[in-house]
Amino acid sequence: MSGVPQSPAAALELRDVRVVRGRREVLHVRALEVAAGETLAVLGPNGSGKSTLLLTGALLLEPAAGEVRLFGRLGAEAGRTALRRETATVFQDAALLDMSARENVEVALGLHGTPRADRRERAMHWLDRLGVAHLAASRPHQLSGGEAQRVSLARAFAVRPRLLFLDEPFASLDYATRATLVGDVQSLLVSESTAALLATHDHSEAELLAQRAFVLVGGVPAQLGPVEDVFRQPASLEVARFLGYSVLPAALLARVLAVEQRATWGLVPPRSAQVSPGGGAPGAGFVSGTVTAVQGALGQGRILVDVGALLAAEIAVSELRALALRPGSAVTLRIDAARVAWL
Amino acid sequence: MGLLLEALQEAWRLLVTGDGDVYSITLRTGAITGISTALSALVGLPVGLALALARFPGQRWLVALANAGTGMPPVVAGLFVSILLWRSGPFGALHLIYTPTAMVLAQFLIAMPVIAAVTAGAVMALPPSLHLQIRAMGAGTVEYLWLVAREARLPLLVALMAGFGSVISEVGASMMVGGNLSGETRVLTTAAVLEVSRGRMGTAMALGIILLTLVLAIAFALTIVQQRSQRR
Repeated sequence: MSGVPQSPAAALELRDVRVVRGRREVLHVRALEVAAGETLAVLGPNGSGKSTLLLTGALLLEPAAGEVRLFGRLGAEAGRTALRRETATVFQDAALLDMSARENVEVALGLHGTPRADRRERAMHWLDRLGVAHLAASRPHQLSGGEAQRVSLARAFAVRPRLLFLDEPFASLDYATRATLVGDVQSLLVSESTAALLATHDHSEAELLAQRAFVLVGGVPAQLGPVEDVFRQPASLEVARFLGYSVLPAALLARVLAVEQRATWGLVPPRSAQVSPGGGAPGAGFVSGTVTAVQGALGQGRILVDVGALLAAEIAVSELRALALRPGSAVTLRIDAARVAWL
Repeated sequence: MGLLLEALQEAWRLLVTGDGDVYSITLRTGAITGISTALSALVGLPVGLALALARFPGQRWLVALANAGTGMPPVVAGLFVSILLWRSGPFGALHLIYTPTAMVLAQFLIAMPVIAAVTAGAVMALPPSLHLQIRAMGAGTVEYLWLVAREARLPLLVALMAGFGSVISEVGASMMVGGNLSGETRVLTTAAVLEVSRGRMGTAMALGIILLTLVLAIAFALTIVQQRSQRR
């Protein structure tokens, strides 16, 4: 694994951290650092240990073994509460206290030692930056999911944290709200130079917000590196499958693409295989097969095609309907050879 | 029907004319019940918070014990305090049996588990992410407990109402450890029992109306507080 920064004052360092639930080890990370000002995306399927990693890093969960350092200081030595006051955490549900939006921010500011006289002004400033100043007097039950999450983010940014833990903060939001909020958070992370650890299973969030990605599978690190490298070249079949790659025997894929290849597996990333209604010559990236499943989400269709192994292809819903594709249909796909990875 | 009308007329007369005995019994009831509820809250609220938040061996058993305590028969509480305070008992030298103090003690044993159990249940019902969020915001122990209690404030008011309700209406323990002594330990419930045994239904009815009014007034006041904090 590569790309671990060696900064002496990393915002977060984990060394041989093990977290145990009951008798089961749910997380084991040998070494992980988040540099000051860096955003690291923690990716992984449900139950892979993303939230456990964040809670451990935020000193909200005691590891069974190992060291967690925030800003070079061990949690136990420096006082966990004092260290937590240099960080902020945003959860998937906004977790607002039963008080007005402004008071929620003011409470956090109070806990971080902001003088009482300055709290209201700072709270309003941050509610305004997150676009919810007009909701300052609203209580949590009067806010929509997106508004509540904006208040939660205002509360987090208002305390000027050196490190921000974002535990799938956009997961429960609708597509439009999520897209806007991700953009706003990206701007704030840059303008505030705040380091962040972002747990997500949304690839686009990771690509937009993070410089590096850390993939967890079954509580164990599976890959760490610059985001674009992780997405371009998965380090294992598990990571490839999680990232949405179609995994084909290398010999089959090499034949389709007419290339020499000694690898065992050929990996076709999402959006790299497209339906080719007119067909095409074998060896030029064209492969024929039978549709085994038709799927769809967010206006985008997806078909799984048996070409000797399962190959996924994205297709517009309108085209899906026009071609009347359904399980059992014969179809020809064209694979973009330039995007294929080998393992 | 005639008996009921007579009783109501007598109750009305006693209440309107301001009968001295009735009023002193009412004041004594308020004092004993108020003190025992306050003491129960002082102990029961922290105990409930500890049962909900602390992690220690046997915690589940203690929560179960507190829940079982909500059904504590007043007579059993009275019996326990009687044994402790009886002249030949471990605290007999204090001469507390048949005093208002003994009644406060017995009522404390009845109300405290109710308040502790309802408090624990209310705090445990808060979303887990809220506990994490409060700690993540950098709250120390005292600030954490304060914010958690604040989040559970409405159920905590219910806990106080439940504690108060459990003692103002009990008669067994008060009778057993207070002795129903005129001018000393006679409260609304024990006085009502005595008056019925004497066949003085009007006086008993007056006492019952006052008891009911007290309960309704406290419940009404707490409900107003609840609704105001919900509207804020």
